[in-house]
Amino acid sequence: MSLSADFAFTQGSLQDYADCSRRFELRFIKRMRYPALEVQEPLQFEKRTRQGARFHKLVQQHLLGVPAEALTASLVDDEELARWWANYLARGLIDLPVQRHSEITLQTHLAGRRLLAKYDLLALEPGGAAVIVDWKTGARLPAHATLRGRMQTIVYRYVLAGAGAHLYAGEAIPPERIRMDYVYVAQGGERLSFEYSAAQMREDEALLSGMIAAIDRAEVFPLTDDVRRCRYCSYRSLCDRGEAGRLEDFDLDEYEDEDEQEAFALDFDQIAEIEF
Amino acid sequence: MADNGLWSNTDAQSEIIDAPLNCNIWLEGIAGSGKSSVGVARVLHLLGRGVPAESILIFVPQRALAQPYITALRRHTAHRGGQVSVQTIGSLSLQMVETFWFLIAGRAGFKHPNDLPNFLSLELVQYFMTRAIEPLVDERDYFNSVRIDRPRLYSQIVDNMNKAALVGFPISEIGTRLKSALASGVEEAHIFDDAQTCAIAFRKYCLERNMLDFSLQLEIFREHVWAEPSARRYLRGRYRHVIVDGVEEDNPASHGLLRDLLESCDSALIIYDRDAGFRRFLGADPDSARRLRDRCDLKKTFDETFVMGAEVKTLGAELAAQLDLSVPLKCDADPRPALITEAHRYHPEMVDWVARQVDMLVRERDVSPNDIVILAPFLSDALRFGLTDGLSQRGIPIRSHRPSRALRDEPAARTLLTLARLAHPHWRMAPTDFDIVFALMTAIKDLDLVRAKLLTEMLHRNGQLLPFAEVRSTAMQERVTFDLGERYDRLAAWINRYIDDNRVDAIDIFFRRLFGGLLARAGFGFHDDVDAGNTAQNLVDSARGFRWSLDFMSRYDEKIDLGLDYVKMVDRGVIANFYLRDWIADVEEGVLIAPAYTFLLNNRPVDYQFWLNIGSEGWSRRLYQPLTHPYVLSRGWSPGAVWTEDDEQHLSRETLGRLLLALTRRCRKAIYLGYSELSESGYEQRGLLLETIQSMLRRHARVEQHV
Ligand code: SF4
Repeated sequence: MSLSADFAFTQGSLQDYADCSRRFELRFIKRMRYPALEVQEPLQFEKRTRQGARFHKLVQQHLLGVPAEALTASLVDDEELARWWANYLARGLIDLPVQRHSEITLQTHLAGRRLLAKYDLLALEPGGAAVIVDWKTGARLPAHATLRGRMQTIVYRYVLAGAGAHLYAGEAIPPERIRMDYVYVAQGGERLSFEYSAAQMREDEALLSGMIAAIDRAEVFPLTDDVRRCRYCSYRSLCDRGEAGRLEDFDLDEYEDEDEQEAFALDFDQIAEIEF
Repeated sequence: MADNGLWSNTDAQSEIIDAPLNCNIWLEGIAGSGKSSVGVARVLHLLGRGVPAESILIFVPQRALAQPYITALRRHTAHRGGQVSVQTIGSLSLQMVETFWFLIAGRAGFKHPNDLPNFLSLELVQYFMTRAIEPLVDERDYFNSVRIDRPRLYSQIVDNMNKAALVGFPISEIGTRLKSALASGVEEAHIFDDAQTCAIAFRKYCLERNMLDFSLQLEIFREHVWAEPSARRYLRGRYRHVIVDGVEEDNPASHGLLRDLLESCDSALIIYDRDAGFRRFLGADPDSARRLRDRCDLKKTFDETFVMGAEVKTLGAELAAQLDLSVPLKCDADPRPALITEAHRYHPEMVDWVARQVDMLVRERDVSPNDIVILAPFLSDALRFGLTDGLSQRGIPIRSHRPSRALRDEPAARTLLTLARLAHPHWRMAPTDFDIVFALMTAIKDLDLVRAKLLTEMLHRNGQLLPFAEVRSTAMQERVTFDLGERYDRLAAWINRYIDDNRVDAIDIFFRRLFGGLLARAGFGFHDDVDAGNTAQNLVDSARGFRWSLDFMSRYDEKIDLGLDYVKMVDRGVIANFYLRDWIADVEEGVLIAPAYTFLLNNRPVDYQFWLNIGSEGWSRRLYQPLTHPYVLSRGWSPGAVWTEDDEQHLSRETLGRLLLALTRRCRKAIYLGYSELSESGYEQRGLLLETIQSMLRRHARVEQHV
């Protein structure tokens, strides 16, 4: 069994491969869904991920023209979310270029495969800066070096440089104009920024194409040696890798709920009686 | 012919594909004439000309119809840029209502405009409909003369509400329309009044709790979101190029939206299949679709089929003509070689014959299993099983798709539900011995039926599983084997520990805990099993959606015992095992076994079709649905007109004629007819399809005699 011909790589799938190639195989080649618990406290975990999703939705609504007051009025029963929201309103959009695209997906190609990136927000000014903004709602601020090595930082900047021309008056965006900002709304809107360069882009391209080629060539996908990675992986029972970890030790910002393949809402007629 | 690098186009196709980027095009024709290929090529052309992908909208009545576009875009690896949107009226209205909710909820009449909306899936609509109107139905003795079960009654009320929204009339007119067209007496008039009262009661229930069923979602989209300047600006600004495929299968609500988009977009291509419109029961309205033609600058017709052989072409035309449909195709071949049949007395003989013929096609004639479909008006479990079994034994891969298969019918789901009942004795829904045998067999790897029965007989007591040590006889223990006994013990201990700990997990969490903690481990039945994992995930997703809706409701209403109500819903067959990923899997290899209309809506031609149960009335008759009516509730219906038995007959003939035309247009070589004198349930059958085929064959025989 191998990866389907039209599979699109994303930061999520590449991070899976970087963390554990077996997980990549199970999720994307065998397409095995395994609904085991990720953490020992599933309901708290779910509450945090839903809050995160709600926050992203609020920002999207705001950027599409729904007035902030109307959105603020909907947050009376969730203090934490209201605090994140206030931090966003106060600092989230400061100094960003004015042309904004929220929840936009771009695609480029590499090593014969598509590579996708789904952005929370792209703020650009043709001829000027091109800023990628990613909202983070987790409770901890990671080390700069850790974040620099995450596939998200690598893939998002690379894809924008290769696929953002149509948002930049038809010109390829020079890597030096690209910056990626992670905005930690639970930390007062703290921002961790990563500049880009042509040299970094070449380095990223070599890394990404090497990974994609390795996946396409691979015949075996070994289990990770680092069993700490298994604690929050739903395939634990399949791999016989112990029990679920505690929520307090888990970095929620690393969690990807859905894979980022193209998705569609369900239609009402999908399960209607076939009749005429 | 022109070449776009993927395939060669005719001049007519190229004219449309390469049309200017500020041109609205109407393309109509028959199935198999290459219309969708042109649509796909036009999208690629737009991308090639530098049109931003985000500004392209592919709009279809049902997602399955967008598959050729999605596949082509996924294979278009050279593309750098954004993503093309694929939407239906359902998905687009949901996104728009959700995004602009806080701007419109108050004026749309919701009682809690600062709270989030709760969009209901079909299964949740059924559930809340029951909660909302059952007290009313019981108290006032509604529908007492209608002999169908309540879930089906309620689903017809939902259907009426959806039609009102899709067609564009207020739900308060449902009763009047149905009464004036269909009620022949006081009793029937009452039934339609009752249906009307229930629809209004459910609407009120939703507005008070921020719940949106499909009909309300659509109504809010049309009446409020579309009237909201920022929402309209966003949609019009975003979608500059619109490609619409299968517009005749869409409804007036979609057509209204498209009409507006056509005014503002830069270019459009609207594709209309002249002989389709199968989804009338879902509000499809080809006449309303056709009005979009006037809004287009360039109008083209494709009548040349690239699919059918001459004999199949004549066959389609003659069968349709036999049913009073005129078909403007030149056909002079003898259609009989395109029909292959063998009469059988009993149904299983027919099923066996089908399996043998498929086997012969695959092995002796090298036909790809992907190029064969087996179709029936409805696909019962027994028929599906008979075919699946017959073909699997011959090593032939199968794709079986039935949209409304109930989750309770999937072995993995049944097992999880039985174990949930055992773990929640306070529900007072102890499973039967039969269910436990089945659950043990599925849950414990290598446990066969005989041993599962033995374990159940010896160790199941009033909804409790006793430990294996309670089997006193060593001979019996050996017969079961200690290895299986040990795994049985782990299962029983897991359940009993859950009961003793007094845990009351949410039902979806319970399923996940049981899955990961036991059933997916080595030695148990779900370990490394893709199907079981998928079904378990579907069950979890559905139960979680249910929990979220009930949690949401609990701010306005009393608490509900979620787990118990959920299990009851699954038991009633309300919950379907149907999620997006199953459709993706549907693209895989194999002979397709499906209801005829599902095949049509997948829109992929094949070499050979098998039509089963050709004596069945199901090929031409509507389902018995006394509370609703696709024609009376359509836009074209004249107020005050009466629906007669003649209309019904005419409709049956027309429906069958269109169906046969559509099927033959998706067939390249031949059609095998599966016929048995006695139906699956043992009755003689002489439906309209059988009659039509026989008349056609007799006519050819007469002509031959005269020659
Ligand atoms: S459980 Fe561990 S080894 Fe198995 S897939 Fe997950 S991370 Fe990899």
